[in-house]
Amino acid sequence: MQTTGLDALIERAARRIAQKTSRRSLLARLGTVLAGMALVPVLPVDRRGPTPRVRAEEFAKTAQTTDPTQCNYWRYCAIDGYMCSCCGGGPATCPPGTYPSPSSWVGTCINPDDGQAYLIAYRDCCGKDSCGQCACLALEGEMPVYRPQLNNDIVWCFGAPNMVYHCSSAAIVGRV
Amino acid sequence: MELRTLWATGWAVVLVGLFAAPLAAQERGIEGLPKEAVLEVEEEHTTAVLGKASPHWVYVLDPVFPHLIASKVYVIDGDSRRILGMLNTGYVPNMALSADGSAIYVAETYYSRGTRGERVDVVTYYDGSTLEPVGETVLPRGRFLVVPKKPNLALTPDGRYLLSFNMDPATTVSVVDVRERRYVGDIEVPGCSLVFPTGPRSFSMLCPDGSFVDVAFEADGSATIQSQEPFFDSEKDPVFEHGVVSAADGRAFFVSYEGMVYEARPENGRMRVARSWSLLSDEDREESWRPGGWQLLAYHAASDRLFVTMHRGGRWTHKQAGEEVWVFDVNTQKRLARIPLEHPAISLSVSQDDQPLLFALSEEASLTVIDATSYEVQGVVEGIGDSPFLTYVVGE
Repeated sequence: MQTTGLDALIERAARRIAQKTSRRSLLARLGTVLAGMALVPVLPVDRRGPTPRVRAEEFAKTAQTTDPTQCNYWRYCAIDGYMCSCCGGGPATCPPGTYPSPSSWVGTCINPDDGQAYLIAYRDCCGKDSCGQCACLALEGEMPVYRPQLNNDIVWCFGAPNMVYHCSSAAIVGRV
Repeated sequence: MELRTLWATGWAVVLVGLFAAPLAAQERGIEGLPKEAVLEVEEEHTTAVLGKASPHWVYVLDPVFPHLIASKVYVIDGDSRRILGMLNTGYVPNMALSADGSAIYVAETYYSRGTRGERVDVVTYYDGSTLEPVGETVLPRGRFLVVPKKPNLALTPDGRYLLSFNMDPATTVSVVDVRERRYVGDIEVPGCSLVFPTGPRSFSMLCPDGSFVDVAFEADGSATIQSQEPFFDSEKDPVFEHGVVSAADGRAFFVSYEGMVYEARPENGRMRVARSWSLLSDEDREESWRPGGWQLLAYHAASDRLFVTMHRGGRWTHKQAGEEVWVFDVNTQKRLARIPLEHPAISLSVSQDDQPLLFALSEEASLTVIDATSYEVQGVVEGIGDSPFLTYVVGE
């Protein structure tokens, strides 16, 4: 199987998590069966790994870093859905009464303030029906579902108590 | 006025309303009037039945993004461009049609308290004529929860087995015997996704390295799995999920982000890629044309034509709606026509009869109906739900 730098980075992280989290069978299954997915809450990103390809240059040209309720907020370079920042949450906060997913897919976005590329975990907030506010779609580096760790159509609520999609968030999990 | 008196008076008004008119008419000698001059004042209230499905019907699946737990499927007649009926479906459903449209299969997910409580994943069987649910089979392993994509659910060519892709996040395919309405089992196919039927008891899936994996199964759910070499570069130029496998002639087509067509054909239950070619000329590339949308590909088997939604844009615009539909003769790989769309389309279907209609679904919930021979627009159906995403026709 072809492995890119980014894939390798995520895979190593996921494998390490899988080894550490035997108490949670779902997480173990996540790590061993589909090692490409990112598990964010305990994600030990290996920053010494090879630099992944930066795909987000186009998005960064018009991105801003101050207003997470706008679709051009810099972390949203590959997001799809309703922005949690418009629903009572934030880029890394779920709205009241919803659950952050312990699993996510990932994108690589450039912060236009420092020009650095960051690994972004797109975690869905789960457990209520669609928030319905601030629908955004960005596609930098977005891949079909047969490469799930890079796909933004999946309901990223694996491991949450409930898999009903409410909104999408974008937490920074590392510099790449 | 006492409550009881009020209630009785109310009934009296209703009864007068029901009977006063006919009595008054009789007094004026209604019997003497010509029959066609007399309006029915009391008609039987009936429920419509659709009858046999027409090849020109299109089934439009709307996941209803603002209310994802309450999705819908609309049945629309392409000739009259009228809505014929609707199904209520669950959370991010998928659908499949029997070859003649007499049965509709919906794979769907429900929580017992709407958005919470116990989760159940189920295949619901609908009568294609009455649009009533007539049975169900529970999927104990669940199903893939994703913005609906057609290759999440497929019927084998003989119509016997329904194949439901699942990612939980381990990847499996749930097999359901729709004749016996029985869950057969789940087949684990680590890492590979979606289902493309290749025979009565076989299917292929797409894997992260750009290869097919071929799966053959038995009536008891046991399976043999054979991997293949990659046929595309999944990093540089991945194929869209919405490949098509023709029910009429078994041929399969996949299109990549950069416009490469991969033609495949099942052989003994294995998907064989026969050849590849590009949708784009050098001039098209200079003008930044590329395929995109959602269900971006449709194939008319009898005339061997491929229809693709195309737009102008850079890389990573692969979900942008098509401003045109391009029509290709598969045999010669030549473009036959460019159909400009007033309503840019994300999804396409073409009816499989000899006077085919092309259906082009927009993100603004409109459906453009096009004569697929003359390429003339026949009309537009507007306001189909909230956020329709997929279209289905019989025999595609």
